[in-house]
Amino acid sequence: MELKRALFNISSLADLGEEITSEKNFREKLRSLLYVVMGTFLASKGAITCQDRTGKKIMFAARKGFEKLSLEDIDFEFVREAEKNEPYHAENDAALRAAGVEIITPLWVRSEFIGTIMLSNKFTREPYTREDFEILKVIAQQIAITLNNRALFINLTEQLGDNRKLYEEMRKIYHDTLQAFAAAIDAKDVYTRHHSQRVAKYSAVIARELGWSDHDIEGIYVAGFLHDVGKLVISNDILNKRTPFTQKEMEEVKKHSLLSYKIISHIKFPWKDVENIVKHHHERPDGTGYPDALSQSDLSEGAKILALADSFDAMTSKRAYRDKMGLKEALSELNRCLNKQFDDKIMLAFCRVLDKEIKGELPEPNILPHLDKNSDLSVITALLEGLIEELSGNGED
Amino acid sequence: MNAAPFQVKSRIVNDVAVIYPKGYLNNLSGEGLVSECGRYIETGIKKIIVNFSETDLINSIGISLLLHVMEELQTTGGTLCFTDMDKVQLGIFDMLGLTKYFRFFQDEKGALQFLGGSAE
Ligand SMILES: [Fe+2]
Repeated sequence: MELKRALFNISSLADLGEEITSEKNFREKLRSLLYVVMGTFLASKGAITCQDRTGKKIMFAARKGFEKLSLEDIDFEFVREAEKNEPYHAENDAALRAAGVEIITPLWVRSEFIGTIMLSNKFTREPYTREDFEILKVIAQQIAITLNNRALFINLTEQLGDNRKLYEEMRKIYHDTLQAFAAAIDAKDVYTRHHSQRVAKYSAVIARELGWSDHDIEGIYVAGFLHDVGKLVISNDILNKRTPFTQKEMEEVKKHSLLSYKIISHIKFPWKDVENIVKHHHERPDGTGYPDALSQSDLSEGAKILALADSFDAMTSKRAYRDKMGLKEALSELNRCLNKQFDDKIMLAFCRVLDKEIKGELPEPNILPHLDKNSDLSVITALLEGLIEELSGNGED
Repeated sequence: MNAAPFQVKSRIVNDVAVIYPKGYLNNLSGEGLVSECGRYIETGIKKIIVNFSETDLINSIGISLLLHVMEELQTTGGTLCFTDMDKVQLGIFDMLGLTKYFRFFQDEKGALQFLGGSAE
């Protein structure tokens, strides 16, 4: 049951992201978003309201049901005083209650009140749970930003007539949604906090170094975010153990890549192969990985990138049962496991990016900020230069 | 990525309306399914079968649309049957506590027999 519920919630967030980033006209987009929210919580009626352009009046942006609801009768001053983006039961407002509004969520972006999401009770008559409220809060933040961007966008297009910027912002929101989800995964395993985010970043920069297109880079970034989502179904007692895993526990933990695959293969992503990259992030070129024990020739480049990024972050982070490795040791360890566990070509790309980051040749470092600040960078640079020479000499480049 | 355009066809078998949604039930075009059912309900039809054999995916938007159909039939005291639904999808409906609002049949024939419309 927990797996199905997790799957359903992720799918809903993915639906939300898809709608937010879609290029539909704004009215349709809001109606779709409202349907996503209502479908997620099984609410039979719902509405999204927002400020009009003068900022003085609240109007319906989308509505299904609630025909008797007149926004003039609602005490929005009271709504504005509630916690930002936190859903609450609308039991104190007679007008809301009379119209059948059960849950109201005030939408805010920073210090600006944007509007509300209103929902009736559930079709199944079941009460809203705490988990519902948490997910609704994430959704509310995303919808608030969408509405706010639209307001900014109207002002912007009056001068520019260009929707590229809006579109870019929308894509960012999709990532923020996925990020919120990755945070939930990382929160479950206290020793791997932010692991998913870092693996996503590392994978993306390696892919960029290998000449991937922007679209494909985005795909591997998302794969990085979600690669451990299967851990949601593995017991906390195992994941947070302070001693190394027993054989049996290890087998349990090893199930996570296949579980991740099962969960995300139900989501329709705009990128191809996300689910397979995730499924194979513990495969190895020597054929001893899991779950499919694939051989070098069957491994996709994406899976090999994610495998290296994942291991590198694991080495350079603290675990319950061991301290983190220094950067120099981690690089030597990666090098020692080349061909067996990691691929030359990926390693070469990784060394090149890190080398460029240290030398300040990239506009923005993505790996370096997460690493041990005490490393002697001149030693690291020498090590990297040696590795790069050795690896490019292999005829791989 | 919204794939093939969504379409709805339907037919009447005695006093039963059989609805055939085709494509992905994951966007606003799915409203066509709700209005198709609504049209029959308005004419007094109380038995509706939705045959999902050509529906590949139902997301949260689709669920929200189907809730409307369930609610409309509930208020008119009608009966709703779903047939040919994918197992995973049926599992999700079960997890959400929705299976008590419709009857599920493997295929349309079984549903028609149950509703007393003849199967062909
Ligand atoms: Fe993993």
